[in-house]
Amino acid sequence: MSHSEVVLEGSGHGHHVPVFEPSPFAVPAKKLAMWLFIISDIMTFAGCLIAYGFLRNAQPDWPRPYQSSTIISVMIMTFIMITSSLTMVLAVRAARAERRDEAFRFTMITLVMGLVFVALHVREWFSMIGQGVTFYKNPWGTGLFGGAYYSITGIELLHVIAALIAFVIVGMGYKRGRYTAVDLENCGLFWQFINIVWMFVVPLVYLMNVAG
Amino acid sequence: MTNAPQVQSATGKYYVVYVCMLVISAIELLVAYRHPGAHELLGALLILSFIGAALGVLYFMGLASENRSAIIGFAVFTLFVLAAINYSWTDSFRILLGVPYAK
Repeated sequence: MSHSEVVLEGSGHGHHVPVFEPSPFAVPAKKLAMWLFIISDIMTFAGCLIAYGFLRNAQPDWPRPYQSSTIISVMIMTFIMITSSLTMVLAVRAARAERRDEAFRFTMITLVMGLVFVALHVREWFSMIGQGVTFYKNPWGTGLFGGAYYSITGIELLHVIAALIAFVIVGMGYKRGRYTAVDLENCGLFWQFINIVWMFVVPLVYLMNVAG
Repeated sequence: MTNAPQVQSATGKYYVVYVCMLVISAIELLVAYRHPGAHELLGALLILSFIGAALGVLYFMGLASENRSAIIGFAVFTLFVLAAINYSWTDSFRILLGVPYAK
């Protein structure tokens, strides 16, 4: 009999009942899975940003095109993301305290802020496209600039959209009692991760390339 | 027995971290617009970003309140791989300068 099995003696009949092994690091299995996914996604973004740094360092004609209007828009987006981190952590706190209405309300506030972020991001893309920046060329310097910019910001945007879809599904499910506080917390973990990635994307992609 | 003061302190902690993150973003903006050299700018921005990320991971993601083995396991593994990714910088300098280091 392995250490993970127990024998129940009842009514003269003993039977083995498998018992789940305790989760490593003493966190719920769902939460551990989300952490492992986040760690793997960190590697994805780290690879993209390191590759971007590699290209930027190796190209002597890397442009620095961002005017004040773009930087102001990006800082507004940063403010929205950081504030949405706060609202999401307040949602998780309320969920842990079984205050479902409050948790749902904060989750929906986070969702709305995320939608505003997506809208501003797409507007920024259209602005860049309007200035002639494509994947292969731009009016300022090496053609690698556009590919790097759209790739990194595009992956970030994809993650944001995925998180917003998760907020709708899990938020509504949580309100109806289908999902638990752990499920909402997992969505919160993913959203916090996205915001942390944004805190690296803004300095490396935007602030390093402010027009002189 | 009530745990209302503990709940309030936890909420207050979140607001403090929130304000710190906003301040870090503002400092990054100011540093960028001083137009320092590329290396100085990169160094300053990375340090500020890592501080902000650490605050986010520890408090908004709740890692600080997790089991110690979880903190060590996640942090050590992640930081090791991130450090290992940086081997590519020598190639970048080699392409640009012909030597695997900045001149």
